[in-house]
Amino acid sequence: MCGIVGYIGRRDATPILIQGLKRLEYRGYDSFGLATVGSAVEVYKKVGRISDSEAGAAGLAGYTGIGHTRWASYGEPNEVNAHPHIDCTGKIAVVHNGTIENYSDLKRQLEERGHIFRSETDTEAIVHLIEEYYDGDLLAAVNATLPLLEGSYALLVIAENTQRIVAARDASPLVLGVGDAEVFAASDMTPLLEYTERMIFLEDGDVADITPDSYTIYHGGRAVERPIELISWHIEDTRKGGFAHYMLKEIYEQPQSFYETIRAGIDDHVRQMVMEADEITLVACGTSYHTALVFKYLAESLCNLPVRVEVGSEFKYFTPPLHGLVVAVSQSGETTDTVAALKMAQARNCPTLAITNMQGSTITRIADETVLMRAGPEIGVAATKSYMAQLAALMQIVNLRCEGAFDDALSHAHLAIGDVLLQDIREAVDLCSKVGHAFFVGRGPFYPVAMEGALKMKETSYIHAEGYAAGELKHGPFALLTPETPVVAICTPGPTYGVMVSNIKEMKARKAPIIALGVAGDTELAGIVDIFIPIPDTHLLVQVLTASVVLQLLAYHTACALQRDVDKPRNLAKSVTVE
Amino acid sequence: MMQAVILAAGEGSRLRPLTRSKPKAMLPVANRPIIEYVIDALLENAIRDIVVVVGYRKEDAIRHLNRLDAPIQIVVQERQLGTADALRAAEPEITGDFLVLPGDNYVNAESIARIKKERNAMLVAEHPNPSNFGVVVIRKGLVREIIEKPEDAPTFTVATGIYSFTRDVFSCLQTNEIPDALSAMIASGQRVHAIPADDWQDAIYPWDLLKLNSRMLRGIIPEIAGMVDASVIRRGSVRIGAGTTIGPNTVIYGPVTIGSNCNIGPNCVIMPDTSIGDRVVLEPFTYVSDSLIMNDVTVGSHSRIVTAVFGQGCILADHTTTYPSASFIEVCGQIQREEFGAILGEGVRAAPFTTFKNCIIGNGVTVEGGKTVVGLIEDGTRVM
Repeated sequence: MCGIVGYIGRRDATPILIQGLKRLEYRGYDSFGLATVGSAVEVYKKVGRISDSEAGAAGLAGYTGIGHTRWASYGEPNEVNAHPHIDCTGKIAVVHNGTIENYSDLKRQLEERGHIFRSETDTEAIVHLIEEYYDGDLLAAVNATLPLLEGSYALLVIAENTQRIVAARDASPLVLGVGDAEVFAASDMTPLLEYTERMIFLEDGDVADITPDSYTIYHGGRAVERPIELISWHIEDTRKGGFAHYMLKEIYEQPQSFYETIRAGIDDHVRQMVMEADEITLVACGTSYHTALVFKYLAESLCNLPVRVEVGSEFKYFTPPLHGLVVAVSQSGETTDTVAALKMAQARNCPTLAITNMQGSTITRIADETVLMRAGPEIGVAATKSYMAQLAALMQIVNLRCEGAFDDALSHAHLAIGDVLLQDIREAVDLCSKVGHAFFVGRGPFYPVAMEGALKMKETSYIHAEGYAAGELKHGPFALLTPETPVVAICTPGPTYGVMVSNIKEMKARKAPIIALGVAGDTELAGIVDIFIPIPDTHLLVQVLTASVVLQLLAYHTACALQRDVDKPRNLAKSVTVE
Repeated sequence: MMQAVILAAGEGSRLRPLTRSKPKAMLPVANRPIIEYVIDALLENAIRDIVVVVGYRKEDAIRHLNRLDAPIQIVVQERQLGTADALRAAEPEITGDFLVLPGDNYVNAESIARIKKERNAMLVAEHPNPSNFGVVVIRKGLVREIIEKPEDAPTFTVATGIYSFTRDVFSCLQTNEIPDALSAMIASGQRVHAIPADDWQDAIYPWDLLKLNSRMLRGIIPEIAGMVDASVIRRGSVRIGAGTTIGPNTVIYGPVTIGSNCNIGPNCVIMPDTSIGDRVVLEPFTYVSDSLIMNDVTVGSHSRIVTAVFGQGCILADHTTTYPSASFIEVCGQIQREEFGAILGEGVRAAPFTTFKNCIIGNGVTVEGGKTVVGLIEDGTRVM
């Protein structure tokens, strides 16, 4: 889950690399490092975030360079373990994203041959291997090394006295950005947007030999052509502007993210695939898992379509019997577990569909068809607008199966989302910021909404929050209810309204403070709870969206009240690219 | 280098219900927020170092400003205490001489060219109803006195809220309003120049937006980006955004601007001085004239919309009529009489055959079954 970036061209590499690493910080921020080739290879490494200590790197000279921001997997975060890693002679530097599974074997063999390992990382084995094969031809040395590696990698390699970068990828993402007499490389396209809109998405097994004026991509030893794709994302979308946090900005972008995804529609191939399915299995992790669960409730109750939802990491090892359409949901399109699940579905001849925000990402190239979410770049680690766009994509599938019954609700939903952003929730924030534990409960599609609300609360405010189906609370967790354990309950009109209200009364009787989300004008509910947050009285589908937004705001403002680092919660990274 | 501070933190409470989700400076006029016209005028004068103070509903403003081409610095005024307080929030960003402009008034580039030459100056303009403004008494080109919103105004000259200052002004900001600071400066013997504006226009009440709208529509650049049926008749300058469909036999007489992803017609008539936002639906046989329709509005078939302002997301069924007339309406404690059709807040819904007659309808009001609605209706009311 690290981020890598490379630059080769006519400008000073260091400022571009630093800027690029800042944009990739969401992929990991334990430590960072840079290496440039001027006359010799120069390296700078530091523990911590690049935004805190960029100044020290400014002295590196050269128009060619590579950089890395790390989320520690092998070896703790310290300066020795930080990338780039250099060989014994100090002439070759490598940055790597991924994991080398056979690295202990490689390390033993290399040490027998006299190589000195400085760090505990798997990456260092790669650079020593390249050193063994290097005789002035960097490309040949990398080509000779790659077959020995098992695992996943996106690599950028530079060497003394040569103005070139050799890039290689297998199962980890790598994008090239083509500029005017300069070429950029990065783990994803966010850092490249401010320099170019022309991107090349490398494929697994590709090796690229890059010089300022040209690049050649090899696959299996032969030169291949990879299409240049034009990306329409705006660089403005990756700036925080006047917002205190990316997360807040992204919360406020949700009406647009929902609307744009709805407007983009579903193409005919996907339409046919969805209409033909007699069963759908969704595979997802984290927030995407919650959107998949919402889909399950909606699709099963509204259009009688059997839906199974599996967590990516479980699916991979305990594959259930599979038939029907398999849908992988992932914001980044790089989530390792989801990717593996998708490959497995394909091996069993299931039709596969990817729902992702990242054009050109790994799952789009594995799946038969793709629905692209139109959320735009999401920088905050806690998913907000991508959640909304995922729901837009999935609700469109529900709508499709129901022959357009929800056209009207979906086309006006962005207004209700915008409306609920104006909601004043200070009272609820006050309450939540004073406690150590909280429960989120709901029924039907609001159960996954409650789970998502709890997840947001956990990851941003570090308050221990649990999402439960309202009926399950009595099977154990009731023992935890105290006057210091608020319960956030979603209680909207429908078949479960009555039983929800009696659940709330039971919890109230155990003295737990209740924050309830109900439709505006519900005086009965407002009368029995401690804090009532109204959401617009709209269609069920839209209520799911508006309730989610309220819970995001609650998590965000609570985290701010507790002075947490909202955009970069401790120990977390945006896309999980290790198992 | 001259800097500029644009004050866009205020709500504009006299413009309610239109300012529910956005500050006054962000209200669209000819499909662009008012503040953009101010920024344009600054850029034309090569003033690129722009600080915008936001506050009320700041998220909307920030998102929009970030997408503009000009590099704009954003400063947040946490509580809306007044113009001087807003200016104090911008103080850390100010390095030398600077202009102060309200983000919610239109001003042209020539006016700014005039005032940017002076230090300690205020831009003044003539206005037929000076009592709504600070009235300025001028002698020999210098400001003598500023009288805030007098019952009987001695002159028709009013303060536009546009000033040219040096950094010294920060030491004079004793109260929360900028005119007080000016009075203090004058009292201490400093010379404050009065510079007449070339073109300046404010919108104080919702119906003023219609005048501002027709003024701004004069400057639109004709462009057709959407799908326009071959049978559509167009005259004058007409601007149509991407993704918009104009159905057969629709007649559009400019100046008219229509946003993106709208669906209009067939057989609609759109007359001059009309702005239509994004994602608006005008169903067949509907007539619109001299109106400002914001985003996501749907107007049913056979409707007649004249001198109306519709807030975002209104859904009006067929046979809706806005009927221009003049009656007495109380706005913020003052009785006003002005001829216009209807002002609708956000998310108003109306059943078929509703007539809006010279009325201001609050946000989220629902009108049921063929009523004629007059006067002022509070937010969230259900008209039975």
